[in-house]
Amino acid sequence: MTEALGRIVATERKPNTPHEFHFWTAIDSPVGIGTIVRVDGANPMDGQIPHIYGIVVEGFSYTDLQSPMHDVLGHDGLPTMAGYAATERAEIRLYTAAVLRQIPEEPLQPVPMGQVFLAEEADVQVALRMDSYLREGANTGIPIGVYRAGGTEAVIYLDADFLLGPEAAHLNITGVSGLATKTSAVEWLLASMFRHFPEDKGSIAAVCFNVKGPDLCYLDQPGKLEKSDEALYEKLDVEPKPFQKVEYFAPYNAKGLALNTFRNNEALLDNVTPLTWGLREVLQFAEVLLNRDDIDAKADALIDFIVQNVVDKEFSDPLLSKKHTVQSFADLDAWFRDVLRGMEQKDGESWRTHHVATIRKMRNRLSNISTRCAGLVTDSGAVSDLPFGSFEDRTVYVVDVANLEEDAQDLIFARIVSKLREHLERRDLGVKHLVVFVDELNKYAPGDGPDTYVRKMLLDIAERGRYLGLVLFSAQQFRSQVHRRVVGNSGTSLFGRMDPDELSTPGYAVLSPATRTKLATLEKGQLMIRHPHFTQPIFVRFPRPAVMQGREGSERYPQAGDVSLDAAILRALRPLDPAITLPWVQEITALFTQEEVIRARNATLLARPENVKAYFSAQFRKIIPAQPATRPMAASIKSAPENDPYGF
Amino acid sequence: MLVSSPSPDSASRAAIRLLKEWLPGASAVEGSGDLELSSRADQPQLISAEIVEGKTLRAVKVPGVDRTTISGFGAFLDGTQKVRLIGRHYGVPIVLGTTSAAVRVRVNRRLVTWGHQPPRLERKLYLPLKYLPPLTETLGAGSQRKYGQFQVVDTSIPDASGAYPSEHPTVLLERAIRAVDRQRDALEDELAEAWCARGEAPLFIDGSITRSPHAAASANAIGVIKSHFTLYVEGEALRTVVGLAKGERSSVFQVTPKSRSAVMSWYLRQRDPEGHDVLWGLVRVEMSRCDNPTERADEISRWVLAETSPLALPDGRWDKMSYGIRDVEEFLRAIS
Repeated sequence: MTEALGRIVATERKPNTPHEFHFWTAIDSPVGIGTIVRVDGANPMDGQIPHIYGIVVEGFSYTDLQSPMHDVLGHDGLPTMAGYAATERAEIRLYTAAVLRQIPEEPLQPVPMGQVFLAEEADVQVALRMDSYLREGANTGIPIGVYRAGGTEAVIYLDADFLLGPEAAHLNITGVSGLATKTSAVEWLLASMFRHFPEDKGSIAAVCFNVKGPDLCYLDQPGKLEKSDEALYEKLDVEPKPFQKVEYFAPYNAKGLALNTFRNNEALLDNVTPLTWGLREVLQFAEVLLNRDDIDAKADALIDFIVQNVVDKEFSDPLLSKKHTVQSFADLDAWFRDVLRGMEQKDGESWRTHHVATIRKMRNRLSNISTRCAGLVTDSGAVSDLPFGSFEDRTVYVVDVANLEEDAQDLIFARIVSKLREHLERRDLGVKHLVVFVDELNKYAPGDGPDTYVRKMLLDIAERGRYLGLVLFSAQQFRSQVHRRVVGNSGTSLFGRMDPDELSTPGYAVLSPATRTKLATLEKGQLMIRHPHFTQPIFVRFPRPAVMQGREGSERYPQAGDVSLDAAILRALRPLDPAITLPWVQEITALFTQEEVIRARNATLLARPENVKAYFSAQFRKIIPAQPATRPMAASIKSAPENDPYGF
Repeated sequence: MLVSSPSPDSASRAAIRLLKEWLPGASAVEGSGDLELSSRADQPQLISAEIVEGKTLRAVKVPGVDRTTISGFGAFLDGTQKVRLIGRHYGVPIVLGTTSAAVRVRVNRRLVTWGHQPPRLERKLYLPLKYLPPLTETLGAGSQRKYGQFQVVDTSIPDASGAYPSEHPTVLLERAIRAVDRQRDALEDELAEAWCARGEAPLFIDGSITRSPHAAASANAIGVIKSHFTLYVEGEALRTVVGLAKGERSSVFQVTPKSRSAVMSWYLRQRDPEGHDVLWGLVRVEMSRCDNPTERADEISRWVLAETSPLALPDGRWDKMSYGIRDVEEFLRAIS
């Protein structure tokens, strides 16, 4: 047994309670804020020595000096004189600890007098109630990091049932931006989950929305690790390797030539899939792109009419000049024009109960969606999407929306999450549990501001997702400014280094001043954790993720700049067939418009055929090569007429 | 006489319970605080002493004193006492005395309790047995008897002439207080002798070293006296002493108390008396007799002056008290 490092003290002014106690230590003891200690009671209760586990939340140091003035007088006002004093004043280190657990748990009594010991690894497991889910038969622990204090190094586990459901779920992480702690923590936790999530609980995958910077763009590339990180990986039983299965999705840029992602370097394109949607995909979520004033009952009814009766159907009406089959935004615009023309001719104010003003307004709003979301929404209706229905176990799907306009980002969030939810409800997504990671909740789910579709969607995941296996991992800089129901429903909360202004908000009043100070000065790689099993926040250290960091990735794999159409086609097709060359592309596409070439490229990328060259070539309409114009050759005159005066 | 009126501590309550059980008729005294002597037997006095450094007593500037002076003291010894009137038996005072003493050793500029001899702590009942009915269940004999968990000290023992003390309650109370005083002195002497026997380093003793022949003869026992009930100077020498400036000492003289050991001594001014009482910051230092009193007095004076920092505040005697002695007193207050 280790030596005691402190003794419990209680006075009338500072009594111990069932939830808090005080102890003193030697000056050089390794105790600090966040240290877990064990108290062995002096007197048995019902034949059992009480053990109380606590975490240090406050520390005091003082001497027998009654007034600072006495010290000034004692050293003649010269601070340098103090160093020559023969004796140092008696000094105390007094700590306040919050109770983590009492054994026996009943009756719950104030902490008794006793000796205080540094908690060892086994003590930490008991103190944090981890013993209940690390035992044989349960084994649902997911390592989140290592708790270190005074030589004790204990792995801290989260309970998978409370991280991914069904008991509780969701995780929220807060911290100042710029330290990469939030992203690193999520990358590390995903790696740990993929390694330790119990097989018998089913498959698990993650969809990460990359909303800013390149940090999530190199998850499949190895990163630099230090020896200390490798030691942590070994302790936490996770292989220090990048993710083995990562799929990237990104829309094209507005010109449609290159993918709008940091990861559009040719060397990394093999697992990047274009994200393009057509009319049908977008119309389901039209309200995401329309502002509140646009959406009223009349507009909603017209959109519903179009979705039900017009899109992908042969539509005819006496008013119209012809039959319409609407499959793209271009078709839809043609349909609108025909409807309005017919109404003008008829001089009617309404058609099929829809007022002409409503029709004009919706035409205006819907027609420019393809412009506002250029690169994502195609006029042609070509669809390239996430593999809903065939998600794979232990795979990360990254959707890069970092460079997109806000409208397009909202549309992507809304549609992807809605589709994920639909598939999980039908149990046909391909995996049983899915983590959705969204950063910048201050932007997407603010506590105040308009009630956007994206915020409603995030609230829905937070409140009901765990029953479906849909788990939200969210991050933001200011937790206090995120919608209360989003953070409130997060069973697990992580805190990196915090902004002091944020820490002064009421939400952090439950933390002691010392804990808040520690939070404001946390190093990179350190976190404070709140988890349903832990009655108090715990500080841990986690390893640097074994993936390439955004800055390094963007230096090693620079983002591709603007390229010509031919080069863009080459870049897109070469990952499918390395034999494709620029001259070949130029030869095939020379006679066609940019729109036709892009359509052929998109079709090829979507199909991923065995014979890429043949498939790509086949996408172009058959054009009979122009024959050179020929004149019938005049028969040669073999001899001059006899009556030709000029003949020779 | 009554210093304060705190509620009885656990030891007092235990003693009262026993007394009520074993001494029928005894009644508890509520709210009695720690007691002190209401008067001293001896009046403040001036006594001439034999000068051993020069022919007349003069002021000597202690040489080599600056802020870098290193103290040679390795430890500090002090004792405390608490005297509490806990009950009466038809007017006869029943006193509980708590005495303690400890040596605190300096290790890396911090004071810790000496490991070779544990601190002394004794609680005894001081009873004038002559004026009390026979105690039942009393064990042992003579003045050191065991009564329950407490030793009993008989405070009604006749003096050398065979006369018993008066039954006057105040007389009996003062005899009890003196007995506790002696007990504390005994504990201090015991520790001082134990320290001197090991001869580790000079020991700063709060008070006189003349009681113990061993301490008085040891070069490692230095007594520092803060109270000046007796001043060992007269006439011009008195004026010299009260006129000592900060950092000055008097010439060394020899102190030979009655029935005690002779030692060398001198006065030392620790703090500037300007604006204060003439005895402000004045201590008297005692050391064993030696052949080089000047050098030895200078050296020890430097040590004592070095011990004036840090201040012993908030103790009211901070002008004369060293921080080490305050530390011992605080330690004893904590354990007794």
